[in-house]
Amino acid sequence: MRPRRWIPLRAALVVLAALVLQVSVAADLRVAGAIGDLVLVVVVAAALTGGPDRGATYGFAAGLLYDLVVDTPFGLTPLTYALVGYGVGLAGAALQRTSGWWPVAVAALAGVAHAALYTGLGNLVGVAYPFDDLPAIALVVGAGAALAIVPAMRALWWVHGHDEPDRLEVMFR
Amino acid sequence: MAISPPTGSRTRVAVLVLASVTLVVIGLRDVAVVRDLREGAAEVVAPVERALGTVTSPFRNAWHGITDYEDVKRENDRLRAELAETEAAGIGRSDAEQQFADLTAALDLPFAGDLPTVTARVVSGPRSNFSHAIEIDKGTDDGVAVGMPAAAGGGLVGRVTQATAGTARVELITDPEFRVGVRLAEGGALGTARGQGRGEPLAVDTSINPRTEVADGTGVVTSGVDRSAYPPGIPVGTVAEVREGSGGLALELVVTPLVEADQLSYVTVLQWQPE
Repeated sequence: MRPRRWIPLRAALVVLAALVLQVSVAADLRVAGAIGDLVLVVVVAAALTGGPDRGATYGFAAGLLYDLVVDTPFGLTPLTYALVGYGVGLAGAALQRTSGWWPVAVAALAGVAHAALYTGLGNLVGVAYPFDDLPAIALVVGAGAALAIVPAMRALWWVHGHDEPDRLEVMFR
Repeated sequence: MAISPPTGSRTRVAVLVLASVTLVVIGLRDVAVVRDLREGAAEVVAPVERALGTVTSPFRNAWHGITDYEDVKRENDRLRAELAETEAAGIGRSDAEQQFADLTAALDLPFAGDLPTVTARVVSGPRSNFSHAIEIDKGTDDGVAVGMPAAAGGGLVGRVTQATAGTARVELITDPEFRVGVRLAEGGALGTARGQGRGEPLAVDTSINPRTEVADGTGVVTSGVDRSAYPPGIPVGTVAEVREGSGGLALELVVTPLVEADQLSYVTVLQWQPE
């Protein structure tokens, strides 16, 4: 087990690193006009490694930080990240004994779900995000999340520690 | 792997959702605290972004070479043709000269008249899939202030929505929340243009009678009517399609912006503020 006093510091470090990489590097790497979402990947990894509580908490905190550096409606990202983090935590708990590739599949679906949720809630609060953009955004965010989920889970294990290695991690060793 | 059971999570997620919804409501009211927090975050992020941008530029350039291959190829063909013409005229053009040409194109603002301007480099494009703003390398120290319009060689780019000492954020005309009062260059009919997302044309709601003829290609400029957020006469785009608005009582115009907001290297901020 990690000494508990270091956990908030390490957690902050991981979230901030993801945020800085997102706005400085990932934001410039567009595919079909859309970009991947590294901050969402950290939220999904937190949910997969720690359950719905941790997923929702990371989602809220990371979303709040992300909203400080973008021009989108303030509060919308913490809301969508927290909901996705919670949902992924529940799904992760339910699917724990399935294939070793489940984190990859769940992360991809979480990316798609987040894109749809954000577009829908954005329109609900009065910002007319075009639904035509949704397929490209969902595809790119989903694919990006699937690619980055394993290193993100390792980062989360570095923060919180873990007793048993994941089957996918064993395979990659 | 230890997974926390979901028992008790519902209360926490309910609290977090409630807190988020409260933040959304506060954020929609554009309160000063949120503005200040965002400005503070921009001050912190700018130097880190600049440093990381420099370090990672070879990788990003390689990425653009792969993902924008077709565009790069077309651009390459065009540049080859230009180079051939240039060589024929006995004039070489270096990268620095090309950058200078871009810069002077951004400065070519006949509509700006006597307005003082600040030319800025675009340091970052939209930072998320739902953001429609760019970051520029000039701020309040250079005379840039919130509310000032931004333009490039061809016309209106957007409006400054946030400014710190050394950086500023420009909301692009493609933002679904962007609104600008416009008038037709021919006939002078007024309307309101609104953004419809990245790569999409603008939609202009007018009060023009549906029986009126509006020709495709008609120019659209900022109206600058009383209390407008923009000075008059900045080119916005050209009419690409004319259709009946909702209710059939007036025309709605589809306008192609003159400036490709995603492809900018430099913008010019017009030092003009609404009265």
